[in-house]
Amino acid sequence: MKKGTVILVVPTALFSIILLYLVLWNAGVSFMNWSLLNPTPSLVGLETFVSVVRQFQFSNSLVHSLELSVSLVAIGNILGILLASLLYFLKSNGARSIFMSIMIYPLAISMAVNGLIWLWLYNINIGIDWVLTKIGLPQFPWLSSTSTMFPSLIVVSVWAYTGIAALFYLAGFMNIDKAVVEAARLDGAGAFKITYKLLVPNSFNSFVISTALLFLFSFRIFSLPFILSGGTTNIFLQTSVLYMYYLFTVEFFSDATAVATIITVIATIVIIPYALIMIRRWIRR
Amino acid sequence: MRPVIKASLHYLALAVVSVLWLIPVYAMVINGFKSDLEVSSTPVLVPPTQFSIGAYVSVFGSLAKPLLNSLIIVIPTSFIAAFLGAMGAYFFYTLSYSYSRFSSTLSDVLFSLIALATFIPYQATLIPLTRLIVDMGLLDTYAGIIFAMLIFYIPTGALLMSMFISVLPRSLVEAAKIDGTGDLKIFLKIVFPLSMPGFISTLIFIIIQSWNNFFIPLVLVTTPEMKLISVAVEAYTGGYGTLYNDTFAAAMLASIIPLAIFIFLGRYFIRGLIALGGGGKGV
Amino acid sequence: MVKVVAKNLSKVFKKGKVIALDNINITINNGERFGILGPSGAGKTTLMRSIAGLDVPSSGELYFDDKLVAGNGKLFVPPEDRRIGMVFQTWALYPNLTAFENIAFPLTNMKMSKEEIRKKVEEVAKILDISHVLSHYPRELSGGQQQRVSLARALVKQPSLLLLDEPFSNLDARMRDSARALVREVQNELGITLIIVSHDPADIFAIAERVGVLVKGKFAQIGNPDEIYNDPVSVEVASLIGEINELEGKLSNEGVIVSSFKFPPDTYRKDNPASEKIMIGVRPENVKLSKEVINDDSWIFVGKGKIKVVGYQGGLFRITVSPPDSEEEIVTYTDHRTNIGEEILVYVKKHSVMVFNQ
Repeated sequence: MKKGTVILVVPTALFSIILLYLVLWNAGVSFMNWSLLNPTPSLVGLETFVSVVRQFQFSNSLVHSLELSVSLVAIGNILGILLASLLYFLKSNGARSIFMSIMIYPLAISMAVNGLIWLWLYNINIGIDWVLTKIGLPQFPWLSSTSTMFPSLIVVSVWAYTGIAALFYLAGFMNIDKAVVEAARLDGAGAFKITYKLLVPNSFNSFVISTALLFLFSFRIFSLPFILSGGTTNIFLQTSVLYMYYLFTVEFFSDATAVATIITVIATIVIIPYALIMIRRWIRR
Repeated sequence: MRPVIKASLHYLALAVVSVLWLIPVYAMVINGFKSDLEVSSTPVLVPPTQFSIGAYVSVFGSLAKPLLNSLIIVIPTSFIAAFLGAMGAYFFYTLSYSYSRFSSTLSDVLFSLIALATFIPYQATLIPLTRLIVDMGLLDTYAGIIFAMLIFYIPTGALLMSMFISVLPRSLVEAAKIDGTGDLKIFLKIVFPLSMPGFISTLIFIIIQSWNNFFIPLVLVTTPEMKLISVAVEAYTGGYGTLYNDTFAAAMLASIIPLAIFIFLGRYFIRGLIALGGGGKGV
Repeated sequence: MVKVVAKNLSKVFKKGKVIALDNINITINNGERFGILGPSGAGKTTLMRSIAGLDVPSSGELYFDDKLVAGNGKLFVPPEDRRIGMVFQTWALYPNLTAFENIAFPLTNMKMSKEEIRKKVEEVAKILDISHVLSHYPRELSGGQQQRVSLARALVKQPSLLLLDEPFSNLDARMRDSARALVREVQNELGITLIIVSHDPADIFAIAERVGVLVKGKFAQIGNPDEIYNDPVSVEVASLIGEINELEGKLSNEGVIVSSFKFPPDTYRKDNPASEKIMIGVRPENVKLSKEVINDDSWIFVGKGKIKVVGYQGGLFRITVSPPDSEEEIVTYTDHRTNIGEEILVYVKKHSVMVFNQ
């Protein structure tokens, strides 16, 4: 391989290796006992992991993270398919792209700002509840009740991320030969039947990708629960990344790295197959 | 069902979804223009009776510097990341040429690595990242934040550009190779100009992502004058007693640039997203 | 000018599951115009790409003159150092560069002054009659012009070997002849070694002086085009180099019997049938249909046929005729119209029937 070819990859490789270095460094520290109370760390093997895993906040936050990701994957996929089929059967390309843009625009706004806005929309006196009471429905407690706090978080993330799923499904649907769909229509199949008999079964790729990305995006949401709960310590909205950040701010460094390592491992389990599917299907073709 | 009714129901369903989806941005737009007086008497979803820019005036003073900081960070970050990522992506393209086991293993490993960098919960690198930036003496500097963002966004650029470059016809690159052209020159003269739409998509995607990145500036900035807009708005969470017109005005100021980009160049942003899903074309 | 030698060249894909080239041995001489003919999937493109250096053969050796350029799965001389000009099937013009910049592109990789480059580009553009479109982008050019720009780009660096990969398949039929003539003329002038890959015999006849017919990764036959046309080694080769009627018959004392048609020994071109079951091949131009008896020694009566299909193509009627009550078909061309269902006398030319012993 020539010099000119290798130069091309140097920046990407360099920064990827820095990232790998960070991840490994982090993993290394998680086998130590470094904290505010113990500024000269030493190797303790799995001890830190054992003590972290035993803590209530750890399992509580991990369950929240997984709950959030799994709900988003489930709701996002179902709603994504529904919206994508609504868009697919539009005759006008212009209308399709306008509606698509409306579903995807939350991604252009930062999650922190989304958090700010939804804080007010969730206000039980002047927010969405004001409309509900106006039309005679009961108030919904949203963030003011511990049992509805977490579902409220899910609602915002569904609003923010369903557009991506719809987009991937629409892209998948559009790649299916138009003639096949038209033939089905001539055979008397309705839109609903075409969707679940023809479009969805032929969009397995979209399913894999949208599941992977919805999982990864929601698994790393930080600013939304951070702002909705006003910090890192609300145990009803605490996710793994929040908990890890909390451990960092109180200077339990090794504990934080142990949580970070677990987060990285979970994310990697999803990322690596995604990457290999992508490179096999697309780059090498 | 008659076709007319069917079509109306179809549009009605989409209209309902659209209205639900637009509520937050509607709230953001109308409430920033309420006066302090009106805020205490009207709910969030009712438009103002009088148009007031008081809230914008009151928040702009403290958000002007963060907005400027964000611009100073985001513009170089996104251009550098998209361009260097594109170079890396072309390298993948050349690797996929030779069918040797070594090059296919190498591209599997490198590609997994850039996917990891793109999708990893970057919060997980918090401690080593902070340490690295502190050791480099770059805490609270533009260079430090840009450097940290590049760690994640150059791989993102490479991942996205790989999709866009993979759809270029192979024979163009082969013709250039036969003509004795080096890969760097092929990239600059042929591949890069031809993948310009993909490059713009990638650029827009990274601009929006880095503009909205909350965590990196949260941990790498400790002084108020270096704050970025994404973090600065946090000050307006307020309690339930505070005036919400300020919150929405701040939200608007923080979102105006990515939203404007989205409105005018949304199709590129969407193409960037689709590329993440493994396709360079479609929709 | 270069001599290309392949020794036991093989190429396998997908860990040996697909064999694209199977033990190829060939010497292409200095200044020769060599054609590679074959059906799609026979390995034509792989062979050409191996010669260009874009693919690396899995085993065997490839020499340019006496220099080993690739051998045993390794590339010794990369494409850029092989002094090759190549015209791709899609022409592969850089869409972001003008015709001039496209042609100049190879030269910009050499140490050459701007003035020199301009002179060379204009020179080759003049020969190929594209001087007036040099400032245009590829999308603004006609198919024929694009093809000539592509040819110019291949020639401008004075390669010692010119590779043409199905160069005419994207052209209108009426443009092909003049394009072929141009390639032939330019090669003649420059004397460079030329290799053309095609599935169209017309390309081969117009350009190549020697042709190798590639079937399933092997050269089934190598020779000059006329020789292969008239004496193909197999039915498959025969049909690749031109239209042919393939008939399966039985050997008898009076000749080869195909249903009610009888091909007597004086119709055989060369070989005599050796087995009881036999394949014979007859070119359409060696068949004559007539309503009356022909009294001419050079045409031999084979039987009475029934007209099954009448088509019209290129100013001639294309007639398919069968022995009555039989599925066997013979195709030929005539200049006068006949009707479907009509009975007709079928003649073949003396010594024109190819006999393939299996």
